[in-house]
Amino acid sequence: MNRPDRRRVPEAPARIAAEHGPRGRLRRAGVVVASMWAHGAGRFALVTLGLWILVSLVSLFWTPRSLWETNGYAVWAKPSADHWLGTDGVGADVFSWLMAGSRTDLVIVALTVLVALAIGLLLVAAMTSRAAALAHGSVVLIDALISIPTVLIALMLAVPLGASVAVIVLACGFGYGLNLARVARPSAMLAARSMYVESARADGASAMRVFATHIVPNVMPTLVVQCSLSAGTAVLAEAGLTYLGVGVPSGVPSWGHSLSTSVRFINIYPLTVLWPGLLVTVVVVALNLFGDALREAADPLTNPRLRGDDGHRRR
Amino acid sequence: MTTDMSLAAKSKKPGGPRKAAPWIGVVLVVAVLIAVVFGVRAAASRGGGAVDGGAADSVTIGLKLAPTNLDIRNTAGSSLDQILIGNVYEGLVARDSDNKVVPALAKSWDVSDDGLKYTFHLRDGVTFSNGDALTAEDVVWSLDELVSKQYHDADSLKNLETIGASGDDTVVLTLSKPYSQLLWALTGRAGLVFDKDAKYVAKTQAVGSGPYLVKEFKPNTMITLEANPKYWGAQPKTPTVVVRYYADDNAAVNALKSGEVQVLAPIGAQLAEPFRKDTAKYVVETGEGTDKYVLGMNNAAGHPTADKKVRQAIRYAIDHDQLIAARGGVDKALGGPIPSLDPGYEDLTKLYPHDAEKAQALLKEAGYTKEHPLRLTLTYANTYGSEIGDQLRSQLKEVGIDLKVNVVEFSTWLQDVYTDKDYDLSLVDHNESHDFTQWSNPDYYYGYDNKDVQRLTDEGLHATDDATRDAKLAQAARIVSEDAAADWLLNYRITTAMDKGVTGFPLNMNQTYLPLWNVAYTPAK
Repeated sequence: MNRPDRRRVPEAPARIAAEHGPRGRLRRAGVVVASMWAHGAGRFALVTLGLWILVSLVSLFWTPRSLWETNGYAVWAKPSADHWLGTDGVGADVFSWLMAGSRTDLVIVALTVLVALAIGLLLVAAMTSRAAALAHGSVVLIDALISIPTVLIALMLAVPLGASVAVIVLACGFGYGLNLARVARPSAMLAARSMYVESARADGASAMRVFATHIVPNVMPTLVVQCSLSAGTAVLAEAGLTYLGVGVPSGVPSWGHSLSTSVRFINIYPLTVLWPGLLVTVVVVALNLFGDALREAADPLTNPRLRGDDGHRRR
Repeated sequence: MTTDMSLAAKSKKPGGPRKAAPWIGVVLVVAVLIAVVFGVRAAASRGGGAVDGGAADSVTIGLKLAPTNLDIRNTAGSSLDQILIGNVYEGLVARDSDNKVVPALAKSWDVSDDGLKYTFHLRDGVTFSNGDALTAEDVVWSLDELVSKQYHDADSLKNLETIGASGDDTVVLTLSKPYSQLLWALTGRAGLVFDKDAKYVAKTQAVGSGPYLVKEFKPNTMITLEANPKYWGAQPKTPTVVVRYYADDNAAVNALKSGEVQVLAPIGAQLAEPFRKDTAKYVVETGEGTDKYVLGMNNAAGHPTADKKVRQAIRYAIDHDQLIAARGGVDKALGGPIPSLDPGYEDLTKLYPHDAEKAQALLKEAGYTKEHPLRLTLTYANTYGSEIGDQLRSQLKEVGIDLKVNVVEFSTWLQDVYTDKDYDLSLVDHNESHDFTQWSNPDYYYGYDNKDVQRLTDEGLHATDDATRDAKLAQAARIVSEDAAADWLLNYRITTAMDKGVTGFPLNMNQTYLPLWNVAYTPAK
């Protein structure tokens, strides 16, 4: 009942983590995962994403059938013992292609989120800069750029790059990065104007240090949710852009590839379209839930187990 | 403190709906997905009665490629040939369903023994749809305009020297050198006869002598044809023909299902499967065509495919029957550059039967091993889909060729392959009839330069009788195929799906030539 009041200050979690070093951080991570697991949504997200990573790894070494095995006499086959989800228009195994596609999508999602995060943080740094011109200019720039549709950016990038993973990663990373920055701006501005930032500056902390130790931890909860939403949208974008012919090039397995090759025959072989469609849906839902669950579980404001754990150890 | 406690209390009981929401969400999404898939199917199969049965004085036809305007003299694209030639405009001569020349505006013609003078005798009493009489003067004017203004297809009339009329009903063409494909060329755009005195906007209107006139034209969407009351021949069987264009295959299929159209051409062999099964309501037929799916190989020096052994190995490695089976099994194997509807056709499919061992042996002779495999890139336009590339990669892998498939925009293909000739393998549907001469052009993107082929083609084109022409072209085609200058993956055949009550719809070559006068529709009772 007599804990110091500053525990309620938003920057506290990062500080606690920093104070406790790597072991403390690991313990914290354990608590976060356990808290997520305790909720249905979090559990669903964890299981789905875990399976996704596992399947991606397995597909590097093993798929039920070779991807390059085609059979013109057994196209659009129904699910069977030989082909668990049937075959596609060239007689290749749908299950194997979806397995292999999961690693392409995983890489695309990871890269997209990294690019978006990098662009987002860069813009947050610019917006919270003490140089007024930079701070205001970047806001105007973001507002202007955010109105360009991601698909348009992708189509323009495809002119020099052709159909490639880079088109998806760059277009989505750029678009989501802008979004990220804009959503994070209020909390970033709040932190930038706070007393502790002022005192840090008075202490002689560099702009870089202030950004890294005070502003980033404050926007992190927002960014985590945004990143996982972006990850979900990136999966959808991969499917959409590949369908448009500017995404994953032909011959590279991806869920979008599986969708786009089978969608022409949706009237006759609806099952073949259903599998990749279902997969994309489930994964996107999982990614969206993951962000929410992670934010709730990782924020001491909403997760008492973090506070209790911490408080206990500090005593 | 109170804040802390209330927050803690809140997070302990996140609330029922919050916990359940994600699961409900997943279930809902899946349910919606399933509902959409099956809903679409159900909605599509419910139709059928939408057509006004009764009189059958009108039939609606679904086609794929739409014309952007009606100016057949200046606008490229087979969609104009398809809808206008033989329906609205007519030539001196026409094609039958086997691609042979038959009389049209000229009831007969004589060719001099040296093959240099063609005399056409026009029919009597032919008028244009505006009432003007069609005379030899109109024919001469049309041909003169074609040549002087270099309208589309003007270069198909080779060696043409003079165009003259003798009286109102005789037209005489003289050539500088015999040209055995002149009559066939006149069945296309080059031979169309226009009214010298008519004033109309060619982009949206058409004045011709054919059995139909254009009543309404909506660019990229539809054309309504109406019987021409002044037509010289028998009136067409169906007074009104509406043509609708569907760029999207699924939209086209749904249009046939719902009864919005009574005929659909073309329809993919696999998409036609449900109609094929529903024999009570539909008829699905397949017609011959001149579409040649050519796997082009760069014959020019400096490319791995300049080595004949490599090209032969590729031809042996490809299992054509399997390619055809995967596409629905209606296409025909094609062993050489000339399809069955063109002069000089000979069945060459036995030259390079599928034989993986022979392919491997040839590759070994050419100096490729497991450690040092042959690596090739196949570049083709995305209009042909990724399936053929995937299959070729898998088939060539079996003999040890490492094929990279590069599916690109058509414009990229045009630049890289067709113009810059920077490619190993390429895939194109060369759909034109009588296009064998491309093999005697060393500057064409194949880079194929064979003096014997050039000489034989030349002799064939300048032959004064059809038998010599066919023999020479067949000889040349055999050399091209034996040289493995390319591989001919298949001869695409057009699938047409129709309501059971439709008769007289042309099946052969109906994507370039679609005379509709004989089409009739009797709706089911």
